[in-house]
Amino acid sequence: MKLDAMRRYATTDIVDVVVIGTGAGGAPVLARLAAAGLKVVALEAGPNFDPARFAFDETLADEIYWTEERLSGGSTPEAFGANNSGTGVGGSTLHWGAFTPRADERDLRLHSETGMGVDWPLGYDDLRPFYERVEAFIGVSGPSQYPWDPGRRYPLSPVPRNGPAQVMGQACDRLGIRTADSPAAVVSGDFPQEGGALRRGCINCGYCHQGCRNGAKTSMDVTYLPHAVSNGAEIRPDCRVHGIDRDSEGRITSVIYRHDGVDHRQRCAAVYLCAGAVETPRLLLHLGLANGSGQVGRNYMGHVATQVWGTFEAEMRMNRGYPSSLISEDMVRPDDADFAGGYLMQSLGVLPVTWGNSVARGRGLWGRALTEHLNRYNHMAGIGINGETLPCDANVLVLADEVDAFGMRKARIDFGYSSNEDRLNAHATRTMTAIWEAAGATDIWVLERVAHTIGTCRMGRSGDSAVVDPHGRSFEISNLWISDGSTFPSSLAANPALTIMALALRSAEAFLGHPS
Amino acid sequence: MPNSPAPHTTIPGPCTVVCLHFLGGSAREWEPVAALLDGVARIVALDLPGFGDAAAVSGYSVAAMADHVAAGIAAADPGGRWYLAGHSMGAKVALALARRAEDGAPDLAGLAGLVLLGGSPPSPEPMSDDKRREMMEWISADAETRRRKAGEFVDQNTGSPLGEPLRTRAVEDVLRASPAAWTAWLRDGSREDWSRRIGILRMPAVVVGGTEDADLGTAAQKALTLPHLAHGRLVALDGAGHLLPLERPEAVASLIAGLASEEPLLKSEAPTVPEPYRALIESDRVNTRLRAALLARAEPDGSADRPVYLDPVELAQLRAVVDRVLPQDGTGRIDIAAQIEARLAAGTGDGWRFAKLPADGAAYRAALRTLDAAARSVHATGFLCLDGGEQDAFLQAAAAGEPLSHEVPVDGLDAEEMTLWFEDLRSDAVRIYLAHPASLARIGFSGIGAGGDDAETLPGFVRVGIGDPEPWESSALQKSSTLGETGR
Ligand SMILES: Cc1cc2nc3c(=O)[nH]c(=O)nc-3n(C[C@H](O)[C@H](O)[C@H](O)COP(=O)(O)OP(=O)(O)OC[C@H]3O[C@@H](n4cnc5c(N)ncnc54)[C@H](O)[C@@H]3O)c2cc1C
Ligand code: SF4
Repeated sequence: MKLDAMRRYATTDIVDVVVIGTGAGGAPVLARLAAAGLKVVALEAGPNFDPARFAFDETLADEIYWTEERLSGGSTPEAFGANNSGTGVGGSTLHWGAFTPRADERDLRLHSETGMGVDWPLGYDDLRPFYERVEAFIGVSGPSQYPWDPGRRYPLSPVPRNGPAQVMGQACDRLGIRTADSPAAVVSGDFPQEGGALRRGCINCGYCHQGCRNGAKTSMDVTYLPHAVSNGAEIRPDCRVHGIDRDSEGRITSVIYRHDGVDHRQRCAAVYLCAGAVETPRLLLHLGLANGSGQVGRNYMGHVATQVWGTFEAEMRMNRGYPSSLISEDMVRPDDADFAGGYLMQSLGVLPVTWGNSVARGRGLWGRALTEHLNRYNHMAGIGINGETLPCDANVLVLADEVDAFGMRKARIDFGYSSNEDRLNAHATRTMTAIWEAAGATDIWVLERVAHTIGTCRMGRSGDSAVVDPHGRSFEISNLWISDGSTFPSSLAANPALTIMALALRSAEAFLGHPS
Repeated sequence: MPNSPAPHTTIPGPCTVVCLHFLGGSAREWEPVAALLDGVARIVALDLPGFGDAAAVSGYSVAAMADHVAAGIAAADPGGRWYLAGHSMGAKVALALARRAEDGAPDLAGLAGLVLLGGSPPSPEPMSDDKRREMMEWISADAETRRRKAGEFVDQNTGSPLGEPLRTRAVEDVLRASPAAWTAWLRDGSREDWSRRIGILRMPAVVVGGTEDADLGTAAQKALTLPHLAHGRLVALDGAGHLLPLERPEAVASLIAGLASEEPLLKSEAPTVPEPYRALIESDRVNTRLRAALLARAEPDGSADRPVYLDPVELAQLRAVVDRVLPQDGTGRIDIAAQIEARLAAGTGDGWRFAKLPADGAAYRAALRTLDAAARSVHATGFLCLDGGEQDAFLQAAAAGEPLSHEVPVDGLDAEEMTLWFEDLRSDAVRIYLAHPASLARIGFSGIGAGGDDAETLPGFVRVGIGDPEPWESSALQKSSTLGETGR
């Protein structure tokens, strides 16, 4: 994004807030605080990209992934990098899928409903106004009637259904499963971005996960960040935070970051830590900070993100079009569930390298079986879920003994399904398989997969059992706030980023002292 | 491909072949071969330090022997294109000289190919400690023992007994060798590890092994020497032992003559990108950055001959594994293993690894050691010498989490780790494979054509539904992607 004309601050200026990380959690905070007239500086570990330079290629997109090594353990080790972790001005939204369901009301009080999982320290009504603000601002396309929330209105008409969406839609109709055009943070037509440039309508290129070249997909660098810069925020790319200074009362007085191999100190009155659900707890553990509850790093969650694939007689050419243009929320509480919570389903079109990786790694094909399967790429279509993961003691992020190039210990993440996830997964696998059978698919196979990075600095009502309060403020360090996927007490069935943005705005309002 | 030997011209008159003998031999062992090549090639056979007429010369390390030979070559002034033939110990010296030549040593300019006969490999030679000790003992024993043992030595190293006067002369050569040189080779020279220094040579090479040669026969050549030769060819001489120039002068002479008349291999071939797909890449539907990347990927792999992290034998093993995982039909091939190697050398990763595995590079090396050890334990030969089905059986066991053999080498991976590593390998291989434009064309992928340079006016796709290709997609992907087609 364009940063040449932005306002700049000296490191000796005591800015009001330093925001660490410019992804889904950091960018809305930066924009809201700048709009309120605060002096704000964002420090972003990754580079600043010109989206027009993204190239329609999976390998060239490596530049937008966080590729520093993390160690994955546990019984269902999660893949990071291209699977869920971005870097750069815009964070993971540079390569997210922009699939933007809202949280289901029931998921926020799962414990009250089922005795399992946890309740959030806030309810759907607390979130709804922020969902609406975010959806209007970033430009979410969706159906005119949302079957699972009839009152909901999306600002933009839906993007076209691609091959996988069409075939899944027909099969679901046959089975009596309701579907709808996906809510997608993709502008279906040209969209004048408030505070930013005109965003071109989606061209159906299918490369959302590799970085959208024309601004059709919402990423923070075409939405909240230009807005922030236009209101006087400074964004410093390639600045990796690795330390802080505190005064005698424990309040943070400056943030230490490395740029081009040199350490700098930005003085500040407050800090928003928005480095994502892996780097945020890693930094806190590294600095021995804000962990009186002992909760930092605990209850790490990835979504159950199993996919079912099938081969079709007709050509799907699943690379074309917005990749997940069909949704079903019918399984958020299935009638025959033997588990707590539920899952969303989406149609899937996946590009060759990512898909081939699934076939070779996940399905385990090799030899002729592999090359012959790859040759049928144009006849494939997938369905995937995003399913509830309950917080669990065994799922933790800790610091490993190995260190990275900064001398910081690497993150080690242990993740495994418990019986609730196993049962949910079995149900979802049956459902998706039935859909593909109804669609006439052959060679149906199941890809076990975990997605997203959630939890590790949970919000709650008490500093004994939570790291931050319901507005993201640290219980221990009064001028430290957290806004990113780490504060989620449970995973929710919904994909996280829209909720992260809504929580970010809500947090910023609280920071500004506005009641909400 | 950086391989650019002098342009080929038909050899005008006899070319020169510099020949290096085995441990205990001398320049004389080449006489039968030289006689057969009279008029075809000029044979310059040299005595190595401590042997033959050079028995009084010292300097027994591989490097010192190479220096000595380089001086002999300069004196012989081979001129134009010339060749190097090395037998056993002489082969290791020849490999060291070939490395110098490819690195541009002016005194070795013109070296155009290698013939390696029962060669001692660049890595330490496989020989039991008992055998080494015994040979070092009798060489300094009393005259009577020496004569008896020298005879046994010659006989043990031939597939069938040598005729006279060859046998007597061979025994005499052993007896006139300097015991110091003999011992130095057994104790040090044969154990010097030159595998990384020699790396992978690009000049054409014929690697010859006798089927009756216990230590340095075809299996050892395939496992230990061939991986160092990008353009090496293995020839087995049926029934022959270790003293090939004496046992099989006709075969050796014809292999030398054959190599000298071969076209030099210029490039390893890359897979061809079909013309319509290439036209798409060149068109303005593809942006400049992507076009440059795709065309660069379509070039043969320049790094293939210069492994940095793996040694040449490990790289050859990795190639063998990758060939089973991702068989590539047709003429050209993507050198997937070389690209994996380059990544391991660069130390770049994809953002995570299984906590149960060591760092990527260490995991790869340990996995290759495990496969090779399993091959040796089950089949008594290296992984590289197994046929595809035998290699697959080990990979199937790895995928299934079953132990590959009874004992895991101490520096290897256990069954669970092998499963995880094999998963990583499949992922690495397929991602490299599918980045290549020839693969994208084969699977019928049109996505590269979503738009050119101007981000404001990208065409993208207008048609996104089932069975509804845009006209340009159909023409760029002619004859690809039919359901049921099983590749070429
Ligand atoms: C391929 C993919 C597809 C996805 N699809 C969807 C989807 O369709 N819908 C959905 O809701 N979600 C999706 N997600 C998830 C979504 O992108 C994330 O949940 C969301 O972006 C997380 O926001 P965050 O603020 O927690 O972290 P991030 O967006 O990851 O931002 C963290 C930022 O902090 C920076 N940072 C980290 N450490 C430091 C440091 N020490 N100093 C300075 N900066 C630092 C990072 O570089 C990064 O830019 C997807 C993710 C991926 C990768
Ligand atoms: S499909 Fe649409 S939103 Fe996705 S990258 Fe292409 S233009 Fe952008």
